[in-house]
Amino acid sequence: MLNLLRKDFIVLKSSLWTIGLYLVVFSLAFIPQSEMSMYFVGIYTAFGSVMLATMIDIKNHNHNFLVTLPVSRKQIVKAKYLSAIVYTLFGVLASFGIHQLVNLNYPELNKPNYSLRDIVIAVGMVLVLVSIYMPLFYGLSKKGAGIINAIFMLCMIILAQPVAYLMHMANENGIITTTTMTLVSIGIIGLFVVSYLITIRLFARKDL
Amino acid sequence: MNAIELRNVTKIYPLFKVDNVSLDVKKGYITGLIGPNGAGKSTLIKMITGLIHPDKGSLKTLGSEMPNQEVDIKQRLGIVSDECFYYEHLTIREMTRMIAPFYAKWDNKAFNNYLDQFELSPKKKIQDLSKGMKIKYSLAVALSHEADLLIMDEPTSGLDPVFRRELLDLLADMIQDETRSIIFSTHITTDLERIADYITFIHQGKLVFNEAKDDVLERYTIVKGDMDLLDSDVRKHFIGIRETAVGFEALSDHKAEAEQLFGRLALLQRPTLEDLIYFTAKGGRKYA
Repeated sequence: MLNLLRKDFIVLKSSLWTIGLYLVVFSLAFIPQSEMSMYFVGIYTAFGSVMLATMIDIKNHNHNFLVTLPVSRKQIVKAKYLSAIVYTLFGVLASFGIHQLVNLNYPELNKPNYSLRDIVIAVGMVLVLVSIYMPLFYGLSKKGAGIINAIFMLCMIILAQPVAYLMHMANENGIITTTTMTLVSIGIIGLFVVSYLITIRLFARKDL
Repeated sequence: MNAIELRNVTKIYPLFKVDNVSLDVKKGYITGLIGPNGAGKSTLIKMITGLIHPDKGSLKTLGSEMPNQEVDIKQRLGIVSDECFYYEHLTIREMTRMIAPFYAKWDNKAFNNYLDQFELSPKKKIQDLSKGMKIKYSLAVALSHEADLLIMDEPTSGLDPVFRRELLDLLADMIQDETRSIIFSTHITTDLERIADYITFIHQGKLVFNEAKDDVLERYTIVKGDMDLLDSDVRKHFIGIRETAVGFEALSDHKAEAEQLFGRLALLQRPTLEDLIYFTAKGGRKYA
């Protein structure tokens, strides 16, 4: 498992600057514009990083190489889910950190004081996206995975504002309580586990 | 003892199938896998290496079941293919730093020796390697973790004749202690005539034979004669016939029968492996 995570680091080493670029670009684009910029910057950076880490494995049909190594397909999938969690935490926490710095240095932007609850919500949203994305990525061919990436990017751009509006409404109406947060969190963890099991099944059966 | 055991392995595609293949690859020997294009050689190799799954049948590699014990099996496998699926943007050094920790018996000294021997610079990116250099690199990787079974799919196709010879010598040395085994698929049958101990012939997804090379070349014969020797009964004796204006040339899988049938009327010659592929592909005999 450690070797697979190490492999991801070696493969992505020359592309890691892209994740930094995501943070900068999304911060510049959303912080002055949106009240919910902490979510947008975190979610976009985290999910962009997950896509980067998955797409690099199919660029040259590299799964055909990976499955010849002494690892099982289950381990390959498990490592990718683990790295998705790492990217999610990194993206959301980096966004939180940036917003704290913005609040300190540019109070005129009037950014809200984000809390642990905002971090949990953003992490949950990325995990939902990852849970839908991973089975499609591992179940489809190289061409299909490329299409899925494009569709996900498009959906994220189109749905960003409506979701932000819904969250704002939910917040205003007091729907986001500790109980709902706990229930939704449990549901997301359940979805993530089910997604992991489905992906293992799909990838284990796939002919390369 | 067998390095590979396939039992009733079937894989069905819309336009092609590997049909109920059972075969044993002997441990301690070099087995050549031959057959025309699209015969099913690569499909078989992909099933052995776990890239694709058979629809029916079972596979045992080095005494262990695939895919149940795939991690243990792959620790002991070396795989060389003419298709390179490494990460193209990495250098040889980076790629090797990634691969080495996966293998319990990785021998860095041996690997560096192979790089020197194959004249590969660790600083070179995979994408800048020629097809032959990529094959040399995958060969260096395959030979550097004490693999018990080397599986090679068209490994000599991109290599120059000088290195091809060197590779064959290397493989012959590798199996000297008779604990390691090699399965080697190729179109360049002269390579197999030089080093293979056993030949597995696949045609249209079916196993034609899996025998010791010398036995095969003894059993088959090329018959050359005048056209007037060919009638419908005689034709039935042949696997495939090539007819020209001056006579015919045909392959029989019963040398003794052919000698009895033609006596001195025709010329009988020892076939090459290429003859076996050519006449089998040309003729229409079906193999069950």
